[in-house]
Amino acid sequence: MARVILTGSLRDLAQTKDTGPIEIDAADVRELLRKLEDRLPGIAKRVEDGLSIAIDGDIVADPLLEPIGADSEIHFLPSIQGGS
Amino acid sequence: MNGSGYEAPRTVEETVTLLQQANGAARVLAGGTDLLAQMKMGMTSPALLIDVKKIPELASIEQTADGGFRIGAAVCGAALAEHAALVAAWPGIVEAARLIGSEQIQGRASLGGNLCNGSPAADSVPALIAAGATCTIAGPGGTRSVAVEDVITAPGKTCLATGELVVDFRLPPRPDGSDARAAKAGDAYLRMIPRSEMDIAIVGAGVSLTLDEAGVCTAARVGLGAVAATPLRVDAAAAALIGTTLDDAALAAAGEAASAAARPIDDKRGTIAYRKQVAGVLTRRAAKIALARAGGNG
Amino acid sequence: MATAEVDQQKKFKWIGTRPVRPDGLDKVRGRANYGADHALPGMIWGKVLRSPHAHARIVSIDTSKAEAMEGVHAVITAADLPEILSEESKIGEGPTNFRDLSHNVIAREKALYHGHAVAAVAATTSAIAQQALEAIQVEYEVLPHVLEGDDAQAPDAPILHDDLFTKGVEPRPTRPSNVASRTEMGRGDAEAGLAKADHVITRSFRTKAVHQGYIEPHAVVATLGEDGRATVWASSQGHFMIRAYCAKLLGMDQSQIKVIPAEIGGGFGGKTTVYLEPLAIALSGKAGRPVKMVMSREEVFRATGPASATRIELRMGCTKDGKLTGAHARLEYEAGAFPGSPVGAAVMTLFAPYDIDGCLAEGYDIVVNKCKVAAYRAPGAPMAAYAVETVVDELAEKCGIDPIEFRLQNASREGTQSAFGPKFKRIGNIETLEAAKAHPHYSAPLGPNQGRGVASGFWFNGGMQSSATVQVADDGTICVVSGNPDIGGSRASLAMMAAEEFGIDVKLVDPQIADTSVVGFSDLTGGSRVTFATGMAVVDACRDVIRQLRERAASIWGIEVDAVKWSDGAARATNGDAGLEPLSLRDIALKAARTGGPISGRASLTARGVGMAFAVHICDVEVDPETGKVDVVRYTTVQDAGRAIHPSYVEGQMQGGAAQGIGWALNEEYIYDADGKMENPGFLDYRMPVASDLPMIDTVIVEVPNPTHPYGVRGVGEVPIVPPIPAVVNAVHAATGVRITELPLSPPRVLAAMDARRN
Ligand SMILES: Cc1cc2nc3c(=O)[nH]c(=O)nc-3n(C[C@H](O)[C@H](O)[C@H](O)COP(=O)(O)OP(=O)(O)OC[C@H]3O[C@@H](n4cnc5c(N)ncnc54)[C@H](O)[C@@H]3O)c2cc1C
Repeated sequence: MARVILTGSLRDLAQTKDTGPIEIDAADVRELLRKLEDRLPGIAKRVEDGLSIAIDGDIVADPLLEPIGADSEIHFLPSIQGGS
Repeated sequence: MNGSGYEAPRTVEETVTLLQQANGAARVLAGGTDLLAQMKMGMTSPALLIDVKKIPELASIEQTADGGFRIGAAVCGAALAEHAALVAAWPGIVEAARLIGSEQIQGRASLGGNLCNGSPAADSVPALIAAGATCTIAGPGGTRSVAVEDVITAPGKTCLATGELVVDFRLPPRPDGSDARAAKAGDAYLRMIPRSEMDIAIVGAGVSLTLDEAGVCTAARVGLGAVAATPLRVDAAAAALIGTTLDDAALAAAGEAASAAARPIDDKRGTIAYRKQVAGVLTRRAAKIALARAGGNG
Repeated sequence: MATAEVDQQKKFKWIGTRPVRPDGLDKVRGRANYGADHALPGMIWGKVLRSPHAHARIVSIDTSKAEAMEGVHAVITAADLPEILSEESKIGEGPTNFRDLSHNVIAREKALYHGHAVAAVAATTSAIAQQALEAIQVEYEVLPHVLEGDDAQAPDAPILHDDLFTKGVEPRPTRPSNVASRTEMGRGDAEAGLAKADHVITRSFRTKAVHQGYIEPHAVVATLGEDGRATVWASSQGHFMIRAYCAKLLGMDQSQIKVIPAEIGGGFGGKTTVYLEPLAIALSGKAGRPVKMVMSREEVFRATGPASATRIELRMGCTKDGKLTGAHARLEYEAGAFPGSPVGAAVMTLFAPYDIDGCLAEGYDIVVNKCKVAAYRAPGAPMAAYAVETVVDELAEKCGIDPIEFRLQNASREGTQSAFGPKFKRIGNIETLEAAKAHPHYSAPLGPNQGRGVASGFWFNGGMQSSATVQVADDGTICVVSGNPDIGGSRASLAMMAAEEFGIDVKLVDPQIADTSVVGFSDLTGGSRVTFATGMAVVDACRDVIRQLRERAASIWGIEVDAVKWSDGAARATNGDAGLEPLSLRDIALKAARTGGPISGRASLTARGVGMAFAVHICDVEVDPETGKVDVVRYTTVQDAGRAIHPSYVEGQMQGGAAQGIGWALNEEYIYDADGKMENPGFLDYRMPVASDLPMIDTVIVEVPNPTHPYGVRGVGEVPIVPPIPAVVNAVHAATGVRITELPLSPPRVLAAMDARRN
């Protein structure tokens, strides 16, 4: 089971201040987002509006097909624009 | 900046005639480091530019019979620095002129231009005021001599009438220090800028002193820049130095007099409080340097 | 340069050396073609009319007099550009809102800042274009304006956008606001962490808008023909960006626009969007002639994007023995006239160097009647670091612990759960701190009125999309083609990586930057990503070519490709096949025509495995106690580069970032009058440091290779601007005893603070 950890502004989706990790069984990010949407309605839209996904510490910009390990840790982050 | 005519007369008389004929539509061009920049920014578009760098009186430096100096109004900063006798007698004036701009600007920028541009922050002006310099102004009615502190009348404005130009600056004779027991003199100029160069003075202070053989100050003049609508001569600060050996109390009093005389404005370059305070600091520091140059025990 | 850690496994021939850059000679001889250097036959000049008001409704624009003038070929207003509705405001993946961008390029109903474009003309000379601008009659209904983030949040503040409702707050607001969004980021319980602390410091910080200070003003030449096809020559940080943005703003297909990149005279983030380009295309279409537009310096200041002005409130606490326990920050970043400040990145970066049990950062993006901000090196991070790193300094002082030691005690490292979420992978935070501590600068004696400050910095670095092609000429030389404008020496680095892959002399590699029709898509040159991501694409493309070279050698020799390896610039038979002399790149290239045709390789990728960057700066200042003037007398930058491909250009980035950060700390600021007009739109009164203001900036490159990059590269361009502000401010504190919480540390501000302390 991959563990999805909600931080920051996403916590309000869970309607509670203190969310532990959400455990989800998914082979790739597409499946993960589908299953997560059932538990946290609205998350898919937030991701589309410009969130990056970090899988085990690697921030991936094109994640839809990215495989997820059985004990991966998933974070959602605002995407960052670079400067120089 | 198109459409300007250009003339490069060889004499002061020709220049006066050209200026008169143009009736206010011509501008004197010395180094052009103010004028050309202003034309490029669209601030002025004179019909005629009269280049004065080819007029011998404006382009030369001489030691006068009385031991003073005559500096042509169009002589550039780099040339001032190359004149050994001038540097020895008036290091404060030369260092003020040398602060103007960069190496490139130094090859053009003149004392005449610095003064006639009329900026209250012009760097050479407080040093010239401290030196007691006068300038020779030529015009349709002949020539007249005016103290430097009386030339700038408001920001960007001078006492020059249509048809007039500045020909040269006259510096009084200096005790040359060749006799160890006789009087000695020194001058200095300091400015405050937030950077180390390429900036406009927030405060400028020029001090010139004469010491007697005992090291007592017998004459002093103080000039301040960027702390009022025009550069200032501050007699109260000079008076605080005269008759002293420039001990700490005298320096502090001169600084306080300078701060009190400053009438600055708040603007993007500095605040009133800051300019007044630093006018005092720089006056004190410039006095100490002038003292050291005069051989006093600062 | 000192090297703290290197991968001893592999010896490189080119990586880590300092060959002359391929673009160097043209640049020093003045031959390089920058944005404003391009000219075409029949070309005319475009100029922009700008709003004299900070906030005004545009009642009407009468262009008839201008149009009737001799020599005027075209006049445009917003009516000449398609109107972009809010529902179609976004395309693609990026966060760009194209309705806002369109309105920023040329004002539609309202002018939202002094300098906002309202119309543009094209004429045979720029003097005529200027006169034509003066003949355009705009009727404005002047509206009340708001210039400061604080005022913009007041209940009765003038509202910039009627349809802007604060995002990220529950319940959804019902009234429009100048607060565009709220974001937060954190871990654990910040308040509980603060409650555990023995020392808590609470401070409020303010910073002003600052400019990137690129030398080259924005410039473009554009043609738009009757066939609807446009060609654009422009200097920017991404010609693919220009193509995509212009297509969207003008309702064109991307295939109708070709953008040819010019050499770029600096960008630092300021050239990651469009200003003139869409106007030049539209003017050219109307005029039927090529149109050139070049901004004046004043226009660059008034109408392009600076870095945000900010206000940050910070509370941080630690135990008596120096363990950080909790932190809370509220960050308000001004976005300018349209939403989109980098507050999100600030919220994510500010606590990154530290392992803090409970921390929370709340960020607010606020619109005001000033020009829209743009990226500037590590966007959003330097101001946040100013707050955190000066408070960390104060906590260390309270605990009586050396500031580097304090940072080491609390440093995040591999495996630490970052304050922005994921666990850190291999990072060089500890290594840079250790290298700074060991540097002779850190223990050197100080003179009177001098003080020393240190500060850490963090930046994510970017990956994103890159493409490259690699072509082999029949003499065995290589052309490396990529699609990223070279701002910091990337051509040199890409050529060196290719030379390393092939095992040939770097002089045989010609790195070129191609236009949008020649090479595959590449994201912007930004986010410190080019040597990392485009470097990966180049390495992949080289490996594609090497595979083909091995195949050609195998076919020449008549052996299996598996029995051919590539090393030191030649194909070699591995089975020791007798008599098979190695075939060099040149040997194979010569036979290309007879072994299957030209050899080229390509790669397009989304780079991942970005290596995050840490830096530590040490700064010594001397403060004049009577004038408040701060002189930086010694400065050392320590940074983890992963691996420095070309150390000189890594050092250049470190020095440049430090110089810009020092300017930001000491004298740079946008000054506005009460009407919202910028008072210092030029380099005389917008005071960037000049060369004589700075000491030699020493560099120490630490190398903790990024395990996911073929050469261990981390981005290097942005993190060096993160530590300078707090390093300078901490040094000023050490010299004077005053902690200044508002930038810049101009002489009047420093003197006032010292006087307040003395009295
Ligand atoms: C990059 C740069 C840096 C600068 N830095 C400084 C600085 O640090 N400090 C400072 O004080 N100034 C500075 N300046 C301003 C300028 O260089 C000085 O004021 C300089 O002394 C002007 O001299 P000029 O010979 O170039 O004058 P010009 O530009 O030729 O003339 C200036 C004005 O004086 C008039 N004029 C000139 N000569 C005469 C004359 N003989 N009689 C009557 N009118 C005359 C002209 O008509 C014009 O109005 C700087 C300028 C630049 C471009």
